Amino acid sequence: MSHSLNEIEALSKCAARGAGLSWGMAEETGKAIRWLESHGLPGVAMLASLLAQNDRIAHGAVAPQFLEGTRGLDGIWAASSGRLCPLIAGAALNDCADRLTAGHDIEMSNVSHPLLAVPFAAWAAIHLGAPVTVAWGRFRGETDGYGLWVDDPIAQIEAATPAAMSFALAAPAAAAAPAAPRNDPVLAPGQRGHVCLAAWGHLNTFAHRTYAPASETSRLLGAGAGESDND
Amino acid sequence: MSAPISDRPLVIAKRDPAQVMRLARLGSFHQCRLSFMRILTRRMTREGWTFSRPAFEIDVTGVGHAIYCAHTPERTYSLVAFAHNLPAEKRSDRVIAEAWDSTFTLFDGVPDADDITRLRQNIPLQEAGRVTEKELSVSRANRSVRLWEHVVSRLAAGQQPDAAEIANVGYLMRTTAVYGSGKLGAADREMIADRPECSAPFQVEMLSVFLTRAFVRDLAQHMANMRGRGRAVDLDSAIARTMGIGNSTGLGMAPFLLTHPILFNNWIDARETAIAMVRSVPTASAADVDLFRSLLARSITSADIWRSSHPLQIEKLALLRRDLKSLSTHVAAVDLRGNFPWDRLYRWAEKALGVDAQECLASLIQEPYGDLVDHLADQMSDSDAAAFRINGSMPLAELRAILARDYDWALAIDWTEKDAFARAWYVSEEKLEPRLGERFEEPISPYEQPLAPGRDAAALYGDLKGWADDSLVAAFLLVHPEHRHSVRRAQIVDRAPYAEIRDNTIGSDLLPLDMLRCKLAFFGATHFDPRSDRWVRICLFGNAPYPEELQMRDADDWPYPPLGEGIS
Repeated sequence: MSHSLNEIEALSKCAARGAGLSWGMAEETGKAIRWLESHGLPGVAMLASLLAQNDRIAHGAVAPQFLEGTRGLDGIWAASSGRLCPLIAGAALNDCADRLTAGHDIEMSNVSHPLLAVPFAAWAAIHLGAPVTVAWGRFRGETDGYGLWVDDPIAQIEAATPAAMSFALAAPAAAAAPAAPRNDPVLAPGQRGHVCLAAWGHLNTFAHRTYAPASETSRLLGAGAGESDND
Repeated sequence: MSAPISDRPLVIAKRDPAQVMRLARLGSFHQCRLSFMRILTRRMTREGWTFSRPAFEIDVTGVGHAIYCAHTPERTYSLVAFAHNLPAEKRSDRVIAEAWDSTFTLFDGVPDADDITRLRQNIPLQEAGRVTEKELSVSRANRSVRLWEHVVSRLAAGQQPDAAEIANVGYLMRTTAVYGSGKLGAADREMIADRPECSAPFQVEMLSVFLTRAFVRDLAQHMANMRGRGRAVDLDSAIARTMGIGNSTGLGMAPFLLTHPILFNNWIDARETAIAMVRSVPTASAADVDLFRSLLARSITSADIWRSSHPLQIEKLALLRRDLKSLSTHVAAVDLRGNFPWDRLYRWAEKALGVDAQECLASLIQEPYGDLVDHLADQMSDSDAAAFRINGSMPLAELRAILARDYDWALAIDWTEKDAFARAWYVSEEKLEPRLGERFEEPISPYEQPLAPGRDAAALYGDLKGWADDSLVAAFLLVHPEHRHSVRRAQIVDRAPYAEIRDNTIGSDLLPLDMLRCKLAFFGATHFDPRSDRWVRICLFGNAPYPEELQMRDADDWPYPPLGEGIS
């Protein structure tokens, strides 16, 4: 059985919210998991694992620390708890994608579930109009926003273990000669998701926390019905 | 008079979002040339779609299935309809219902026997079933018990149904949900959005309803034939045409306008562009003026036959009828040929008429100008995925300026007053559907959905105090992740000014009906009949051609009933 990408996005968003992320972060989480699953990558399973680990944890504990007296994110990004959330760090990366210029990489220490940060690098690449490289452990990848080229086979891609990550603008082509299209194997977006059903169940449990329990009062007040429809 | 259309300057600007995006106005919208049903029927006619019915296997108790195919020049779409025998006590329009008179799916292609077997196990269950990427929509419909029995018994007895009975209801069945775009496992819109016939919004859903109408007519005839055994007559095609498909729409639809800001902007922007283009026409031909006058007369008929028992709608209707008569008197007295006639007329209406009639007129003046405005249908989808990205490099001074300009209405509200935030939108555990609750009477606040852009923008504006003008959005959001949602919206509104409803969506005086009517008017619905302040019945495709009539009738003006139907 496959799922529609809209189903994957909607459930991931609700689950992220249920685990305590802000609505804005939850929206980006939905799109990130959709991006990963459409590329055949285990976004749903990784998200379920991350949410279990960071359940209801304060944003400040897992977000890149804001450094007073600077414009925010200088130096190597790190979390006060010692473990960065890949979604929050990824969103911050995309927010300040303009800082990714030739020779100016963004480095993060101790990012858990690093794969979950990859879609944000993809969106940064679309914004910049240039490919972005992502590296952690033995993983090296490059994305132009749509495709993902992975140099190191899948070995570490599903690791939850925190790792140092670096993001860089791929070597820019000479102005006169645009980069030739890559013809090595690429993970390109598909149109359906084949999710891990156990993890899907876990996401449903998180999402369930966002639903208000029903009562007869709320049924009547909330939807304003009660008349007969046999007319 | 006609210079090439594209050369005509837009001398009248589009209306200000601050004027357009108020709920009272959005809740007074009327269908127009850019309504999704009309986009579909124009395409079907223009491209010469053909239709077939490869299966109609319904037994004497009304149970079975049927298949209705629409053949475009490129491909085929099939409505698979399941007819059921529903006991009266199970008939409910509520989304929490579990059984219906008929259930449907729109299939991409022509289903084979295995598909039908699979669909028979899933479609009748609706939300409790599961579909695949071969299915484009899932829907269901209930009979209007009264009119159904009237029509079937009359036909069975060899008589035509009574026109007044039909006018009182308007449809034989009403749909109670039409799900598309990935719901229940169906194909995502993105899978089909590059097909020309699917590129405008909600074309799949509209096609499904269009074919449903044909099925419902055929089913009523079939039941009459079986009951009448040889005495039955065929339903008169002119009478059949007056019947549309009803639709019961509740709160589930209202948040859509808030959760799809770019798409909503594109709908409004297309219509506003059309209005501005027509108001910019310097002179009108006699034929254009005649067409306008005749459709105004038919709009008056439409308002006359519009029935509602809801006090708010009765009041609105009385005003609309009175205003349309004033408009008619005015139009008879003024010259509409020269000196920017449509702009003059619209300006007169802004002073002389209520909002409902103003919006009726704003739709009507587009009618003679299909060549000018119909192409705007191509701009009504959301193709701006990049708009989702937050621009973290924006200085906070700029964000502040956007909020002060586009959310001034929200900053002017005292959000400490209970009435200002008396309501909360939440999702019920029961059916996973959006609902609107009373914040101070029900324990729903912890479950509140982000559907109060005004309150949230005001909170964002407050928290920006104390931040330096040259600080960047990215830094602010690291400290204030709770504002991520609102910052995104503000940046969207900055580039898409019709993206935001500029009114309080959680106040004690909110009428969710306004949101429903706005969306349904874009569908092309007419004759809104509110059943409470939060759900409404409407009619879709009333007076439209049936599939086999599309090529015989020049009928793009079908939403306007023929003259003389009104008995007022």
